Order: sequence, then structure tokens, then C-alpha cells
Amino acid sequence: MTGLAPIDGLAALAIVAKAVGYGAALLAMGGVLFSFVFAKRAEASVLRLARQLAVGAALVGLAVLAGRFGIRAARISGMGFEGATDPMMLGFVWESPLGTAAIWRGFGELAILTVVVPRIGQWIALVGSLAVAISFAQVGHALGDPRLVLAVLIVLHLLTAALWVGALLPLRRAALTPSGVDVLHHFGNVAAFGVAALILAGTALAWLLSGSLTALFGTAYGVGLLLKVAIVAVLLGFAAFNKVRLVPAMRAEKPGATHALRRSISVEMLAVVLILLATATITSVTTPPVSL
Amino acid sequence: MIKQFLLCLAVAIAPMVAAAHSKSEATTPADGATVTEVSELSMRFDDPMRIISVTLTATDDDIEIERETGMEPTTEFRAVPLEELAPGSYRFDWRGMASDGHPMQGSFSFTVAE
Repeated sequence: MTGLAPIDGLAALAIVAKAVGYGAALLAMGGVLFSFVFAKRAEASVLRLARQLAVGAALVGLAVLAGRFGIRAARISGMGFEGATDPMMLGFVWESPLGTAAIWRGFGELAILTVVVPRIGQWIALVGSLAVAISFAQVGHALGDPRLVLAVLIVLHLLTAALWVGALLPLRRAALTPSGVDVLHHFGNVAAFGVAALILAGTALAWLLSGSLTALFGTAYGVGLLLKVAIVAVLLGFAAFNKVRLVPAMRAEKPGATHALRRSISVEMLAVVLILLATATITSVTTPPVSL
Repeated sequence: MIKQFLLCLAVAIAPMVAAAHSKSEATTPADGATVTEVSELSMRFDDPMRIISVTLTATDDDIEIERETGMEPTTEFRAVPLEELAPGSYRFDWRGMASDGHPMQGSFSFTVAE
């Protein structure tokens, strides 16, 4: 398999930490986006859950960010875990693009904490969400050329993914509230556009980083990406089933529909976890074909 | 509409995408080579690489080497063995960080013959 770096213990730890960081960032951004998009439609308890989710995720995100600095320092040092606290190694990491990204992500996640403050806090949190999305355009192969196009695509990909991922728990709660069907129905309509943007941006990014379709089958990056796309396809299947079957069944007050929908959303969450792990693996230990 | 434009733009300029970090490097001695003496160890990169740790290992123990290149990012890394290398197999390992921040590692092996 070409373009696959060795995976030692530290690399595996780096992958898990990165996946948790992705999840935290998506939930933090998504919680804020949900509370904006559904401000008028969802019950107060659902909106509160979305905001609490954003705050909790932002705090986890900040902790993971600090941890990833140590892991990265340890990996480049060749000293094992001792390198995690070596000032010189930490300095190298800080000077690298990870330092720039950390400033954007740290600022963004701190700003998201203000989502619990009414009015002005909400807007600060929205700016924070954008900063978190922009932080992803500061690292790795997003720094290649054409940089502006890659940056716009990745920000779009992140924001739309966040809208979906951050909505799952609030929607699962909303299903139990009187206005739940309306919220779920509205989400289905918003998500249809969001998912289209998500897939377009993801496909364009994959194309830019792969260079050719054949590169997908002969490289570690390509195989990892195909695996990710396969899980995304399963996730889309569940989402479509919810929109076309379960939400209308809930509206018709069919017995068991609410329970089935909540279970389906739980499966979606599991799929998201697998997608984030796949993404973290691809971005940590494989090289995009255009760079091979 | 905007999305379609972006996609078209992305597809149109795809061939311009450049490598974000260094590719496989040329080394001295070359990987897999059999040589009679080793006066220096060197690696070339097509994009600056910050080489942080290097080790030269003989069959059973580490050989001391002195870096001529410091820890700053470089496209050419040099080091010299502090003792004459006895006949046998050697392996040079390095770790570092590419300019995009990715942790990188690599190695090359060579044999010293009489």
C-alpha cells in the first residue's frame, strides 16, 4: 500500500485524539448552528440542550487541543512520551501550522462558550464557529495550492457537517416534545441542502487531493477515503429513511414511530463516530496521491 | 449556483495542486547500497524538513554520529560518523516534521564491505 506511514502507539493515540478533537469541534459548531436555525421552532428545552452540548464540546475541544500538542511533540521528538513536555519540541510544534490552527481553534472554542449568554453571546458564538471551521484550513494538505479554493471548500464541508452532527442529539430530544415533528420536518428540508453542499465540497476536496480516480484504488489515502465514503453512504441511507418514512410516520402518529426514529438517530451517531475515526486516520498516516 | 461554480473552479485548477510536504529523498549512501567507506551521511528533500532525531544502528548497537545540520528546516541534511564504520549492515533512522506540520519519519540501510 503506497503512502501509508508506520502506525506506532503514539500515532494511534494521535489518531484517537484527533478524532475526538474533530467530534468536539463539530458538536461545538453544530450546537451553535442548531440554536440559530431552530431558535423559533424548537422548544426551550431542546435549544438549551443544543447550547449545553456546544459548551461541553468546546471545553473538551480545548482540552484535546492541548493534549494534541504534547502528542505531536512526542511524535516528532523520537524520545517517546518524554518528548511531550520537551520545551524545544513544543516550540517546534507551536511554530508549525498546528500552532496557527490552534490559535484559530482555541479562540473559536472559547468564543463558543458564550453561547449561553442571550443575544450578543449567540453572535459571538457564531463567529467562534466560523473561526473553528477556518482553523481546519490552516493545517496539513489544506495548505497546498490552490489554497483559497481548498480553504473555502474545507470551511463549507466543516460547517455543513457540523450542522448535521450537532443536530443529532437535540433532534433525538425534540422527538419527545410536542413541536418535535415540525422541528424534524424542518431539519429534513434544511439538511437536504446542507448534505448536498457537504457532499459537493467533500468530493471537490477529494478530487483536488487525489488528482485521479485510479489513485483512489492504489493508495492508502484512496482506500481510507473509499471506506469513509461507504460509511457516509450508510449514514445517508438512515437519514433519508428518517426523512421519507419515520418523520411522516410520526406526523401520522403511528405507534412506535417516535421510538424507531430515536433509535435510528442513535445509529447515525455511531456512524458519525466511525466516520471521524476514518477521517482522523486518513489525515494522520496517509499521504494524498497528489503529494506522493 | 455558488457551489457549482466552486466545483467547476476546483476541477479546472486541480492539476495545479502542489505537494504539501517533502517526497522521498535521495540519500548518501543510497538505500540498499554496498560501499567500502562512509565519510558522510546525507539526505536531500524537495521541501524543507526539520530533522529532529537521527540514529545510526549497526547490527547490534548504536553508532555515534555528529550532525553537521542543525534543527532548522532544511532541504539537505548532513551528518558524519564519529568512528570508521566496520564492515557490516547499518540502518539510519530519522524523525522530524514537514513544513506543513506533519510528523515525518524514515530510514535507509546500507552495507559496508571490506
